[in-house]
Amino acid sequence: MTRDEIERKLIDIVRHEKSDIPDEKLTAATPLAEAGIDSLDALTILFAIEEEFHVSIPDDQARSMKTFGDMIDIVEALVE
Amino acid sequence: MPRVAITGIGIVSPFGRGKRAAVDALRAGRSGVRLIESIDTAALNCRIGGEVPREAHEGLVKGHDRFTRFALIAAEEAVEEARFAAGNFDAERVGSIVGTGMGGCEMLDAGYKRIYGDNAPRVPPTTIAWSMYNAAASAVATRFGAKGLAYAVVSACASSAHAIGQAFRAIRSGEMDAVLAGGSDAPLTFGSIRSWESMRVMAIDNEHPEAACRPFSADRKGFVLAEGAAVFVLESFESAERRNQPIVGEVVGFGMTSDAGHITDPSADGAARAIALALRDGALTAADVGYINAHGTATRANDATETKAMKAALGERAYAIPISSTKSMHGHAMGASGAIEIACSLAALNDGVIPPTINLDVPDPECDLDYVPNAARQARVPLFLSSSFGFGGMNGVVAVRTVHGL
Repeated sequence: MTRDEIERKLIDIVRHEKSDIPDEKLTAATPLAEAGIDSLDALTILFAIEEEFHVSIPDDQARSMKTFGDMIDIVEALVE
Repeated sequence: MPRVAITGIGIVSPFGRGKRAAVDALRAGRSGVRLIESIDTAALNCRIGGEVPREAHEGLVKGHDRFTRFALIAAEEAVEEARFAAGNFDAERVGSIVGTGMGGCEMLDAGYKRIYGDNAPRVPPTTIAWSMYNAAASAVATRFGAKGLAYAVVSACASSAHAIGQAFRAIRSGEMDAVLAGGSDAPLTFGSIRSWESMRVMAIDNEHPEAACRPFSADRKGFVLAEGAAVFVLESFESAERRNQPIVGEVVGFGMTSDAGHITDPSADGAARAIALALRDGALTAADVGYINAHGTATRANDATETKAMKAALGERAYAIPISSTKSMHGHAMGASGAIEIACSLAALNDGVIPPTINLDVPDPECDLDYVPNAARQARVPLFLSSSFGFGGMNGVVAVRTVHGL
């Protein structure tokens, strides 16, 4: 799976969970909190990622995830 | 002591969304019990329930467990009627008390199915936060900005009677100016129904759902599991008068007792003491009582015991009071039942209607009071009692004045 494909799927997941995030906030560098994603939203998104990509994200990686770009990195590393 | 006004009534029930739908059904003696549609019941013996119709709730609230969504829908109606806005109050003196018997059954059932049924490696991370028993009380407090006392009351089928009683006391003591109080339950899940089947206390008539629940009738076979919520805006008279807000009822007395007996067999003594305490609390006598919304589950044990309790607490006057079990129409919504029954009673009585007990076809010598069989009556009732008697021997009785008694 290419990085672009991962990113597109992640955008779908985030959009599904939080439909009210404006497009300009959905960039790799935006901190999740700034995009309006609270701690429970982030957990729900991680859950959806694990289900979609059939991966298991360790707790320490989940806790270090601060931006949308971090999510892409983590998933990319796990699906390789 | 401050008097405690009811300024808003909200209900979502097997009759649909809102008090209008409930009063229409109660007046017509129309059952809301039907074949359950929200889950696959093919493998269950019991396929009927007092299910909230899809159109009454779907899409109105995002997220949460089903029982919290019901609580929010009911609270919305109550708040709208009461023109309640946190800005009109000192938010720190507004509370939220929501009773529930079974909590987040939808989340728990789905979670356990994933874990044990599907061997899935994980469950949704909202499982804990949405299934906890205080989730509805929290959601109501959050949605409407109540920053005072907030908690869930969990006492089986007496949960919301206790919740309303606690809210009444918090206002009467001067601790709170207003409380959003009520109850919610959504136990129509596969696991919950299966567990109730094991107790052999359910009326299972999949061919005639509307005739299954037969309180006080000699041919009664048990209760019908149901779901729903009712929430009230309770506030001090002073607060309502300051806002020029119409008062639609008044909580005047509350009694609660414990049987300290058997976990599932009810006691007439515990129930009778709760009725007597509610009267004493409101400085009332049996002569003041114009209607009783009975617990009336339609189990063999409850209805005869409750009849004894009413006679013990009210004496000869018990024979003259119209009594009904609206569970005959909306089923038994567990911890929400007290709130639903107070909402049904108050809304119907304010409209001049005493709700009937439907399916009361065969007199039972052990149940020989006036249960308003099968047809509603027109009457101006100034005050009623609502009784709730829960598993664990936990009893709660609330005395409420209608608009005709204010």
